[in-house]
Amino acid sequence: MVGEELELFIHSQGVKPKVAMARPHETLREVLVRTEVLKEGHDDLLVFVGEWEEALNEGDEIEEGEDRHDAVDINLTVEVLELHRHRHIHVHKCKRVAVEVNFNGRTKRHRFSPATTVGVVTRWARKRFKLEGAAGAEYVLQICKTTKQPRPSEHLGELVEPSVCAICFDLVKEITPQG
Amino acid sequence: MDKPDQRLFDADVASVDFRAGALKGYWGLAGADGLAEQPAWPSRILWIAAAPREKAPDRYYVQLDLSGYRTDAPTGTFWNPNSKATLEFGLRPKGRPGSRVAMVFRTDWENGRAFYHPYDRVAAKGHADWPRDQPSLIWDSDHTIVHYLEEIHSLLNSGDYVGL
Repeated sequence: MVGEELELFIHSQGVKPKVAMARPHETLREVLVRTEVLKEGHDDLLVFVGEWEEALNEGDEIEEGEDRHDAVDINLTVEVLELHRHRHIHVHKCKRVAVEVNFNGRTKRHRFSPATTVGVVTRWARKRFKLEGAAGAEYVLQICKTTKQPRPSEHLGELVEPSVCAICFDLVKEITPQG
Repeated sequence: MDKPDQRLFDADVASVDFRAGALKGYWGLAGADGLAEQPAWPSRILWIAAAPREKAPDRYYVQLDLSGYRTDAPTGTFWNPNSKATLEFGLRPKGRPGSRVAMVFRTDWENGRAFYHPYDRVAAKGHADWPRDQPSLIWDSDHTIVHYLEEIHSLLNSGDYVGL
């Protein structure tokens, strides 16, 4: 990938994700500053790369587990950070997003990386509530006290309010169109 | 000059949500894979990947009418890249009887010219009760082509999708 421009996807709280082109020898800090995602004085922000799926391997015996996704050093280059493989960059104030999922009067909890997709959280929830297989595929996440069902490719980091590092979902059955 | 609905669609095709799905091989605009050029606006042909099933293709094409995008929802159905026409019923994806897959891809309604789904303009117009029954699936101008594609992709990769 020497000299090749790479397409990266930058996600941050409260704004539409951006497509950015980057060269292998640029630092991630340079990319984030150039795309105006990072400004001077924003050193409290954490930057994660990739899409995190660790919770899918969580054992059934674990209650209230937590991901171990570490923030990266943005002074490293695009090449060193292997962004050709990870593609997604998440700039966030939350180290973890505390997720509660309610189903059938029970609640399961996990502290996810902000780089986790709704699709992964859905699969985790189906597994924890023993809803796997074809029948389980009809269950989706709906944000508590709303009718909003986020898309599977949305990341938790984009869904949470800027000042809050937590979100609550109900696991609901999708309705088959009738009539 | 492109029309406003076309400009919005083109911007959404360049968005993170569309590009990330395309890079994962979930969907794309038909092009290099056999289509010399896209039909005149407001029509566009896209492909969507499907889970492997015996004797079934690994992707299906759809032809969508995108007039009024995003204010108005898309509408359309499966398309045959060989005959360059609407896909014959026998070659369309099927679902387990009674499942969402079977209902959305049904061919015994409107002569199979639209998807039986609240995101489809033709289907939504004929079902005034759907917004009450399925409030999470009401199309509005905050929705993009990615919402539509993700729904179809999810059905084509569901355990209820049985192939042809």
